[in-house]
Amino acid sequence: MAPEQGARKRKAITRDSPESDEVVLSDGGEDFEVPLPNGNQSEDELNEDEGDSSDLFEDESDIEDDEELEDELDSDEIPSDDEENAKNLERGEQSTHSRDIKGELNGGPATNYKITEDANGNVRFLYNEIDPVYDSDDSDAPATTNTIGNIPLSFYDSYPHIGYDINGRKISRPAQGEALDALLDSIEIPKGWTGLTDPATGKPLELSQQELEVLKRIQMNEVPEENYDPYPATIEYFTSKTEQMPLSAAPEPKRRFIPSKHEAKRVMKIVRAIREGRILPYKPPSEEEEDDPDVKRYDIWANEAPKPDHPMNIPAPKLPPPGYEESYHPPPEYLPDKNEKKAWEEADEEDRDRESLPTNHDSLRKVPGYNKFIKEKFERCLDLYLAPRVRRSKLNIDPESLLPKLPSPEELRPFPTSCYTIFRGHEARVRSLAIDPSGSFVASGGDDGMVRIWQLFTGHQIWSVKLSKEEAVNAVRWRPGTDAVILAAATGEDVYLIAPPMSENDIDPELHVKSRELVDAGWGYAANGASGKAKKEPATQWVRPGSSLQDKGVLVKFSLRKTVKVIAWHRRGEYFSTVSPQGQSSAVAIHTLSKHLTQLPFRKLKGLAQSAQFHPSKPIFFVATQRMIRSYDLSRQELIKIIQPGARWISSFDVHPGGDNLIVGSYDKRLLWHDLELSVRPYKTLRYHQKAIRAVKFHPGGLPLFADASDDGSLQIFHGKVVSDMMENASIVPLKVLKGHQIKKELGVLDVDWHPTEPWCVSAGADGTCRLWA
Amino acid sequence: MSDQTLSNSAGDTGDSASTSQVRIQLSTRHPDIALPENPGPILVNTNLRRYALSTLVNALLQSEKPIPFEFLINGTFLRTTLDQYLTANGISAEITLNVEYVRAIIPPVYLASFQHDEWVSSVDVLSKTSPAAIWAGNAGTKVPGQERILSGCYDGLLRVWNMSSEVIATSPSADEGGAHSAILAAKFISPTQIASSGLDRTVRTWEYSEDADGFSASITPKLELHGHKMAVNSLAVHHPSSRILSTSQDHSIRFWSTKKSEAPPTPENLLPSTSFKSSKRQKTGSSPTTATRGSLSELKSHTGQVSDTIFAPNDHTVAYSSSWDHTVKTWDLPSSRCIDTRSTSAALFSLTALPSLNLLAAGSVARHITLIDPRASATTVSAMTLRGHSNAVVSLAVDPQNSYGLVSGSHDGTCRVWDVRSGTSGNEGKVGHSLYCIERESAKGRGKIAAGEGVKVFSVCWDSDVGIVSGSEDKRMQINRGKGIVGEQPS
Repeated sequence: MAPEQGARKRKAITRDSPESDEVVLSDGGEDFEVPLPNGNQSEDELNEDEGDSSDLFEDESDIEDDEELEDELDSDEIPSDDEENAKNLERGEQSTHSRDIKGELNGGPATNYKITEDANGNVRFLYNEIDPVYDSDDSDAPATTNTIGNIPLSFYDSYPHIGYDINGRKISRPAQGEALDALLDSIEIPKGWTGLTDPATGKPLELSQQELEVLKRIQMNEVPEENYDPYPATIEYFTSKTEQMPLSAAPEPKRRFIPSKHEAKRVMKIVRAIREGRILPYKPPSEEEEDDPDVKRYDIWANEAPKPDHPMNIPAPKLPPPGYEESYHPPPEYLPDKNEKKAWEEADEEDRDRESLPTNHDSLRKVPGYNKFIKEKFERCLDLYLAPRVRRSKLNIDPESLLPKLPSPEELRPFPTSCYTIFRGHEARVRSLAIDPSGSFVASGGDDGMVRIWQLFTGHQIWSVKLSKEEAVNAVRWRPGTDAVILAAATGEDVYLIAPPMSENDIDPELHVKSRELVDAGWGYAANGASGKAKKEPATQWVRPGSSLQDKGVLVKFSLRKTVKVIAWHRRGEYFSTVSPQGQSSAVAIHTLSKHLTQLPFRKLKGLAQSAQFHPSKPIFFVATQRMIRSYDLSRQELIKIIQPGARWISSFDVHPGGDNLIVGSYDKRLLWHDLELSVRPYKTLRYHQKAIRAVKFHPGGLPLFADASDDGSLQIFHGKVVSDMMENASIVPLKVLKGHQIKKELGVLDVDWHPTEPWCVSAGADGTCRLWA
Repeated sequence: MSDQTLSNSAGDTGDSASTSQVRIQLSTRHPDIALPENPGPILVNTNLRRYALSTLVNALLQSEKPIPFEFLINGTFLRTTLDQYLTANGISAEITLNVEYVRAIIPPVYLASFQHDEWVSSVDVLSKTSPAAIWAGNAGTKVPGQERILSGCYDGLLRVWNMSSEVIATSPSADEGGAHSAILAAKFISPTQIASSGLDRTVRTWEYSEDADGFSASITPKLELHGHKMAVNSLAVHHPSSRILSTSQDHSIRFWSTKKSEAPPTPENLLPSTSFKSSKRQKTGSSPTTATRGSLSELKSHTGQVSDTIFAPNDHTVAYSSSWDHTVKTWDLPSSRCIDTRSTSAALFSLTALPSLNLLAAGSVARHITLIDPRASATTVSAMTLRGHSNAVVSLAVDPQNSYGLVSGSHDGTCRVWDVRSGTSGNEGKVGHSLYCIERESAKGRGKIAAGEGVKVFSVCWDSDVGIVSGSEDKRMQINRGKGIVGEQPS
């Protein structure tokens, strides 16, 4: 009754017929989930319905199967997703179900119990054993209903069915998807239709749009309330912006600074455990290698029985038997000779190639006891104690190889090596000397107030003049350039310009006239200048010396305020500078030869001026004070650089003809090489003299040489090559110490000068001699 | 006597088993002492020394008077026994030694010193065999013993000495018209002509006339040659063409004529009278007038002082010059052009020619003498280096009798005698060492003198009759001669 009702109900649904309302209503309480397509309960019901329906159409012919199917489908308002198998399954279930029902129907009247009497005489029902027929409903049984066996389904492509079930009925081909879709499209269901009756009104229950949405939300496991936002935007309690000032000015609590007692307790607990050995801080690595049981080892020499000689039979290696060398009485050819013995004894124990030397004893009786016995025993003891012994590690480094590679002086020839000429004549110290630009003469000035000119190699004195009776001649310098022969000499505060005749009673007219003209050219200018701008008092007045001096060729004289110690010419011969260390503001003076003009460029100089030099190619002027050398740009009149040699008292310096390097000699025995491009600090410090360095000089004519003169009576010649490559540093090699000057009153060599082109130098000594070295 | 025994022992073919013997092949480059017939290899004892070999050669030559010989083996003179030589050089005694024998240069012994007032800068000799005499036709001007020695001195005076160390002539002093401030070079042009030059930039020629008795003579100024701008270092003279070459510190060489008519007049600006006036000048201005002349040409291409010059020995139109700029230049005089330049390693101070070897010897500041092949075909600049001096070599003279001989004067105060055949080949090329070293008599007993101070030799001259004459800073002219070298005995 009920299945039929269900089927009808379904039909009613499809056809929208409101029949048997009560039933529907009664079912509606249970089956509220009608819209759910796959609810289990409903499915079961449906299946049952189907089964019933199939039962109903049991007698219909096979051909009508399609219709039956259509009917079925008609009755099914749910679009089924199931595939063919699902259909088959359903079918199988239907069939079994139907059989069950049949069985029940057949066996219904037969009783399965006997009525007996029990001990009390009461009725007792004795039930039969339930016979679990194999056919009974067995949900576990496989649902295979198609009995066609293991053949491809394609064999049935041409038939409307796809096989046969266990009862030999055709299994019809399930409906295709398109048919279902078409059917569903034809059905129009009003929105909100439930198929239920509202019990309050008795009218069909229709859900409003709002209610449908609530349902949908419940279905989706959402909060049914409308517009509920499960993820609202965070409202921050604090602003995310960093405040400049803390909101709270409360000081950090003390507990943050004191160590936690609780933690200390916990740490102590761990420490105690470590101490007691309950916790091992680390696991010691297992030292012994595990024997790999898979690798099998054999001792092939375990049994040393003699075997015949065969390549497969390798005898165990043995120590060689002692030879003749170990014999107590070796043959004489094994005995070491004297040299071998000595070499062996001198070698260190580790280096010896053999442990003992063969020694000859006439008989075994004379072999002495083993003299190393005690020592070896002792060492064995040390080994047992695991006493470490210091191993002497030998350094086999040739100390020579650690020295930097310098080219040997032999490769750097030519340079002066010996004294060639001694110029004797000065009665006291020779303070200064210079070789003339043509390289033929030497001019020297000394404490006797004389200026002398010598022939370079013969040492013949060509000319001399006495400039001063009391004062020493402190500086003599030739004017550069071969167009004229002019000598500047300084005695005391006076500076003289001399055009010396090159021989006693004859004068080279051309050269000499030229020289005189050059020196005298300034007279007119000086006169004009003085009258023109008389506002500024000139630093000094250039005057003619006495007539006796004029006859000797001394043409101009002027005086500075303090003793002039150094004269340096500009390379063009137009300017020269003088340095008088004691004269405060007039310490450094620059003189213009053609104008007879003296200028004092420095109003105030820090420190005592020691020396001054012109740059060989640029308008730069170097002034050395006791500790610093300052370079000034003459054209812009500003300080360029302060060079700090680090010497305590600079005695002299010289600029390399290239202009980028400087050597500085100091009274504290140091010779310092400066690379002006590199640093204001010295590139190299040479400390080879025992006493103060008095003078330093670069070779002016392109040879990579420089020399210094020291109070220890020696000159030192160095090779100092400057390369134009910026990446390479200057190479400085000491070449030669030239000794010969005697030390007089702690003074040795006072000045040095180079020949303009050749590797020859001259030196002025405190012993009253000048020397030529070549 | 000893000759005989030695030659016997030499001729013996090894009956003395104790001493080993070596085969030697004697040869010489001098035809006058060549062996009459080639004796072939001679077997001699290895314990022979030079003297024994010399007697052997004399015996073979059958000369009446024994000639001392030196023996050259592989370029070195034999100074030890043959045995020691062989062991020192690692030569087997079984090979035949090629032994060259040459006339020995007898060690020159000191003969005399002539005292001067000042440093002696230059010396020259007039003898029968001196170039000046040969040019003059060798007209028997000087008999042996009548040689004249010319010296130039730093006091500006020329002196002519006879062999008895007497001054027979002195040039007039500065007051009297002889005007050198210091003489740097002086030479006989001919037996009657002298050329000199000095610090005063001039070259002067002088008439030299001797009295008949030979005990007095006079030097009178003849020509004053102006042109150099600085001191004139050295002179070379060639009488047949009456030409003088002079070198100066002003880097130039000037070419002059000794004939008044040939020489151009002096450029006006060079005359002393036009130069600057000074008190000194007025003194010399009052001197008796001497004819002045200018130079024929100026040879300019040196870049340093020109230290020395010579005429080519066989061609007076070619000259060689040495300079401080390290070069030796060859000049073609008629065109005044520099033909060839040979560069050496150091400044050169002196020059002389070894004609038979086509070599120039140049003394350098680097204490050695370089032998230079001036011919254009020569590939190497330095054929040989003679080492031994300890200061600059400033003067050179060739041995008049031995074309391989040379004497050099140096600032170290010694003269050294060299034979260019003797030398060893090292890695610096062939290096020769001196045979003898002549020291200054004035330096005897002074020990080693640093830098040759006070004894610098400035000039050296070698004459076959007189010997080696050297002038020095010790104000003396010293004569050394190897006794018995020459054929004629000195009187």
